[in-house]
Amino acid sequence: MSAPSGTERPARPIAGGAVGASPTFADVNRDVLRTLDFPGSAYFGWMSLIALILATGIGCWVLQVYFGMGMAGKRNPQMWAMYITTFVFWIGIGHAGTLISAILYLFRAKWRTSIYRGSEAMTIFAVMTAGLFPVIHAGRMWYAYWLIPYPSERFLWPNFRSPLVWDVFAISTYLTISMVFFIVGLVPDIAALRDANTGWKRFIYGLLAMGWQGSDRQWRHYRRAYGLFAALATPLVVSVHSVVSWDFAMALVPGWHSTLFAPFFVDGAIFSGFAMVLVLLIPMRRYFNLYAYITDRHLDNMAKLILVTGLVLTYFYACEGFTSWYSGEPIERASYLFKWVGAYAPWWWLQLFCNSVAPLVFFWRPARTHVPTLYVVSILVLIGMWFERFNIIVPGLAHGFYPYTFGTYIPTLVDSGIVIGSFAWFLILFMGFIKVMPSMSIVEVKETIPHPVRDGHAH
Amino acid sequence: MRDGRRAGEGMDRRGFFRIVGASSAAAAAAGCGKTTEAILPYVIPAEHIVPGAATWFATVCRECPAGCGVLAKSREGRIVKLEGNPDHPVNRGALCARGQASLLSTYDPDRLPGPRVREGDAWRPVLVADAQKLLVEKLAAARQAGTGRIAMLTQLETGSLGRLADEWLKAVGGRPRVAYETFAHEDLRAASLAVFGVDAIPYHAFEDAKTILSLGVDFLETWVSPVGYAGAFRRAHALREEHSARVIHVEPRYSMTAANADEWIRSLPGAEGAIALTLLRLVLESRQIPALPAKEVAALVAAAGAVDVEAVAKQSGVPVSKLKSLAEALVKGAPSLVVSGGVAASGSGGVDAAISVNLLNYALGNVGRTVRFGPSSSLSRASRYADVLALTKAMAQGEIAVLIVKDANPAFTLPARAAFAEALGKVPFVVSLSSHLDETSARAHLVIPDLTPLESWGDYSPREGVWGLLQPAMAPVPKVGPTNPDALDLPQLRAVRDALGRKAPETFPGVETKATGDLLLDTGRALVPGSEKTLFLAKSFADYLRESWRAMAKTVSPKAAFDGFWEDALRRGGYWADVPATKVALRAGVKVSAQAPPLDGSATDPALLVVPSSRYYDGRGANKVWLHEAPDPMTQVVYGSWVEVPAETARSLGVQSGDVLRVESPHGAIEAPAYVSETLSAGAVAVPTGLGHTAYGRFARGVGQSPYALLPAEPTAGSGGRRWLGVRVRLQKTGRREKLASPAGVTEVDHSREIFETVGLTEAVKLERGGKAPAHANLPSMYPDLKYPQNRWGMTIDLDACTGCQACVVACQAENNVPSVGKGDIDYGRSVHWLRVERWWDRGHGGAAATGHAAVPGGIGVAQAAETPAAGRPSARFLPMLCQHCEVAPCEPVCPVFAAYHTADGLNAQIYNRCVGTRYCGNNCPYMVRRFNWYRYEWPAPMNLQLNPDVAVRDRGIMEKCTMCVQRIIAGRDRARDEGRLPRDGEIQTACQQTCPTQAITFGDLKDGKSRVSRLSGSSRGYHVLGELGTRPALTYLKKILREEHA
Repeated sequence: MSAPSGTERPARPIAGGAVGASPTFADVNRDVLRTLDFPGSAYFGWMSLIALILATGIGCWVLQVYFGMGMAGKRNPQMWAMYITTFVFWIGIGHAGTLISAILYLFRAKWRTSIYRGSEAMTIFAVMTAGLFPVIHAGRMWYAYWLIPYPSERFLWPNFRSPLVWDVFAISTYLTISMVFFIVGLVPDIAALRDANTGWKRFIYGLLAMGWQGSDRQWRHYRRAYGLFAALATPLVVSVHSVVSWDFAMALVPGWHSTLFAPFFVDGAIFSGFAMVLVLLIPMRRYFNLYAYITDRHLDNMAKLILVTGLVLTYFYACEGFTSWYSGEPIERASYLFKWVGAYAPWWWLQLFCNSVAPLVFFWRPARTHVPTLYVVSILVLIGMWFERFNIIVPGLAHGFYPYTFGTYIPTLVDSGIVIGSFAWFLILFMGFIKVMPSMSIVEVKETIPHPVRDGHAH
Repeated sequence: MRDGRRAGEGMDRRGFFRIVGASSAAAAAAGCGKTTEAILPYVIPAEHIVPGAATWFATVCRECPAGCGVLAKSREGRIVKLEGNPDHPVNRGALCARGQASLLSTYDPDRLPGPRVREGDAWRPVLVADAQKLLVEKLAAARQAGTGRIAMLTQLETGSLGRLADEWLKAVGGRPRVAYETFAHEDLRAASLAVFGVDAIPYHAFEDAKTILSLGVDFLETWVSPVGYAGAFRRAHALREEHSARVIHVEPRYSMTAANADEWIRSLPGAEGAIALTLLRLVLESRQIPALPAKEVAALVAAAGAVDVEAVAKQSGVPVSKLKSLAEALVKGAPSLVVSGGVAASGSGGVDAAISVNLLNYALGNVGRTVRFGPSSSLSRASRYADVLALTKAMAQGEIAVLIVKDANPAFTLPARAAFAEALGKVPFVVSLSSHLDETSARAHLVIPDLTPLESWGDYSPREGVWGLLQPAMAPVPKVGPTNPDALDLPQLRAVRDALGRKAPETFPGVETKATGDLLLDTGRALVPGSEKTLFLAKSFADYLRESWRAMAKTVSPKAAFDGFWEDALRRGGYWADVPATKVALRAGVKVSAQAPPLDGSATDPALLVVPSSRYYDGRGANKVWLHEAPDPMTQVVYGSWVEVPAETARSLGVQSGDVLRVESPHGAIEAPAYVSETLSAGAVAVPTGLGHTAYGRFARGVGQSPYALLPAEPTAGSGGRRWLGVRVRLQKTGRREKLASPAGVTEVDHSREIFETVGLTEAVKLERGGKAPAHANLPSMYPDLKYPQNRWGMTIDLDACTGCQACVVACQAENNVPSVGKGDIDYGRSVHWLRVERWWDRGHGGAAATGHAAVPGGIGVAQAAETPAAGRPSARFLPMLCQHCEVAPCEPVCPVFAAYHTADGLNAQIYNRCVGTRYCGNNCPYMVRRFNWYRYEWPAPMNLQLNPDVAVRDRGIMEKCTMCVQRIIAGRDRARDEGRLPRDGEIQTACQQTCPTQAITFGDLKDGKSRVSRLSGSSRGYHVLGELGTRPALTYLKKILREEHA
């Protein structure tokens, strides 16, 4: 399967898209099921490379577990470093999916239909990646389950005053709801796959379809459940990252102890989440030739969201600086100033460029649909957002209350390997998913197409 | 049921036992992964050993000639901790860092377990009997060849062993024994002889002085009796009834002692003599000196001669006004005490300086009051450096057939130019009785290692009137199986282990050797026929020791029965009595030269100051890993030596801290990293002693550089001592870098942070008169206040008393099984020390520091401040920082699993077994005192035998921190309960508090309003570090009193 070049692009945008003839229900079935064809050598080549990176990351992790946390570059005062950075980063990525699928669903933003499945998958996998990090980060990861409240013979509960315990609840709730929402949305599509396949595939899809027949009663229940889950997932979009931000805001560290953190983190999460959606959908569209479904309008909308969230983020950056100055606290000020001029200053300015300057290009309409620009800016946003978390954690801890212990964290091969491996882990999940499940919702895309009989547009 | 039996009959009695038996066997077999050590109960319990209960033995510390009294804590037959003996007159319960670490010489993994014979370059273990036979053969042959062919060189042994060795040498026809001490202070002896006709180093009564002037004497670090003098210094210096002694220190270098003085006057190297003589003249001119016979005044005036004050001011770098004010302070502040003879100032001009100081003390009426001949130091019984050189010469000329060396390492500590190592090569048979293969032993032909002081009998008298008794507090270190077994010890995984570069687990074979005293007795009997009836009658050295004490008892306590005397001495750690000061008179015709002889080398080059290390001493501490891990008090450098270069010189050379410099004297050269100093006098560079070993052990070898390589061989003319101050050196940049490792980040005092607080003297006096306890921040909280049903443990640290000596750091490491992490990890902020003594630079308010630290990017490096242009010389401040045991502890709420929690008696506790290792608490602690186990740390065998059984050894991946020695609290409480009472105030002491030479630390119950700690916590000088955060620490610091207002 070769991707069509730009000139061969079939002019069949779906409803809500631009002009031209809409794809038929049959087209949708065909186009989506086509994505599940047996992959070619390019796919396997990429998968092998990613698997290799993942294996390296796992190897690094084994070294860390065997020899101890010292293998990672952490030290006093940076007891937290890249693992928590990457944890927060992935949690942030995990926001866009639910935002697109749940909030936009509730607002009846129909353009979401062709991209929500991919974003939702991204969410699940991002949260699954993020969830690895608290465990990787723990000095005795084999006891990490002690953070979960379970009845124990020692009558010991976790400490409900600790933001880390809140994290456990927030993330597991978010993962559960997202997962259920995701699976519910998949059921009718899996049923279509079951019907299109034979043999063992039919058997497996049959199991997963949970007896979906497409009867009116089933549809009624389905719709109600879907709406309910959307309503349930919506507050979680806000709550999860707020809770994650309290890991910092509840601490005493100068630069962390701020009420700004919850909205600041949520906005940054959405910002980076949309960037990640673009980073994943643009190649997917090309690879699967889904130009009919993922159109310039989608790109334009996404770019606008990135622009808006980026501007809000810039406002928060300004707030951060203002509060530390206005506090009149010399320690707070010194800590903030350290970010500007200290050992990590290059990363601070890189973050500002990526998150505050680069998205400004989207004020210009052509840039919003120009694929290379979109792609580059999205990548920059992801880099910027990773460094935003890094700059909160590492330089923040480097320059706290006690000058005698000021120090510079230097990453090692082991923690770098694990962080890079986490990207491989995410990609392997995502790329695996798009080959076994419809990465675009058949049902919802069909809903947006004019009904062939009712509207009399049948071919 | 398949066989048709009814349910309920499913299991009969036999079946039940079958299944139980089989499952227990399976369970037992499942546990057979590793072979376990044999654990056997005592069949016949050993006397003194009650499992779980400590036994204490009184003995003597032999790390330096000060001879402090020590109590050794024995648990299950092993000594696990040393503490100062509170009854001992020298140290009064305190110990220095070296004393605390001396425990490690017994558990040193590089210790020789038994005799070794050299074969080529290899060492062959031999049986003790064979080694002794070989020794006797060689000695007999040497005797045949004539008298004076046998020589012995030991450290200073003032007790029975020294006497036995002398008798032995006499009997076998050997040369007189050389009692070698690297820092023997010959100049002081020569000066006493010259001025008073007494060859002695007097007792300096710091505690009785109102004005103390130190001319380059590091009396808080290594000088003569540092622990005793530190305590005496504090007794004089403490603000009591609105008075405290004034301490002035004159030295080119800002040493720890200088940092603790009220005023440090920076002089040029070698100017001590001229300053002392000028002060003598100014004091005499003041005509306010105590009444002296006219003859003596005339002699003093004659000696002072015509000193040109202006010229001296120029030569010494001390302005005339300063010299005059010094003289005035001495005259007005009687009784005063002037001391000189610090190692760095000994050598060229050192004797003259010491003579001038003696005259000055005499003129001020201090002799007999604060300078007392009696009790004089036993250091005056050490051999002079010149005697050591004479022996070296005899060796080089082939006059010595057998040389016996014990507990001395002249091949390392003598100047390289003295060519001791080469001379050793000329001796046909060298026997070492040292317990280590140090540089000298490594060149021996036979090593019969002595037992360590903790394992052997002995006695030592550090000064007149004090006889310390050493007793074997434990049996020689036994065989130790593999330590730290881990998964890779399985045979199948050895290849993996090797590939990962992991060391095989270590074992220790167990000490099997003969103590030197016994060896001397046995060889003496074998060599000298008939001596078993006379001289070497004693069956063992223990008997010999007892007999010599019997003789002593007859003189000091003739009425008492000896058995009682002996037992009492064993229990107390020796015998001591007051020694009246001998009256000394000024000798006529004392001559003194104001002009120091020139130093070797080009006159434009800086002078080399050799700084005796307060951690490694002359080098004997270098294989003790705790001493490596405790930072140098002033530079905060760990593991390594440095060349301290004045900032001006560094700028002109283009050198920064860590640039390797080639230091070249006319006698040798070394290459060591620079430490750029803002305080060192231009015209000097300083190199610490103790490191630069090529042998000795794993922790010593290849670490640092030794200044001994730079020094001249010839002795000082006037005293026969070493010319410590003797050379000028040329500095050259090598272009290489070697980072100085340090746990310190930014150490500039930022007065906007409430970390180190000071108070002026006038203010302090006012506060003492009627100041109220300051109100500490008490921020509102959602949670109810904590209730303490019984006790609330708390601590105070008096920053006015802390000298920064690091003794508490090592004591804490010894008490609490704190692992040693290595150079790189300390530098990378991974030290596991629960207590650190931080050195801060204070430039006063409004200086560069007040603008905040953000201007120092990165914030690491040891001499950050020193590299920036000087904004006036900074003052050093010492702050012991440990867990503050906050009542509102930031670490507690953030722990997700309650590993950090608050106990009912006010301790901020850490449950190791519960810790998951999220490290959130470490981030949230504003004091940064929580420590993480980055790896599984190792205690190579037999160091693991030292581990305190009352304290858990922490696994990798968990947090730990100061517990306020909770095991000691529990022990104290249990003891009190057993006796049906409450713990008495002061009964429970933390390890840091116990060892502190200046008693800066007080621990106790804050709920008991009458306790010392409650009183001090309410002191008007009290403050909480970062108090505005409202953490309500249980630790209160008392502000340091700045007495500079005197000046």
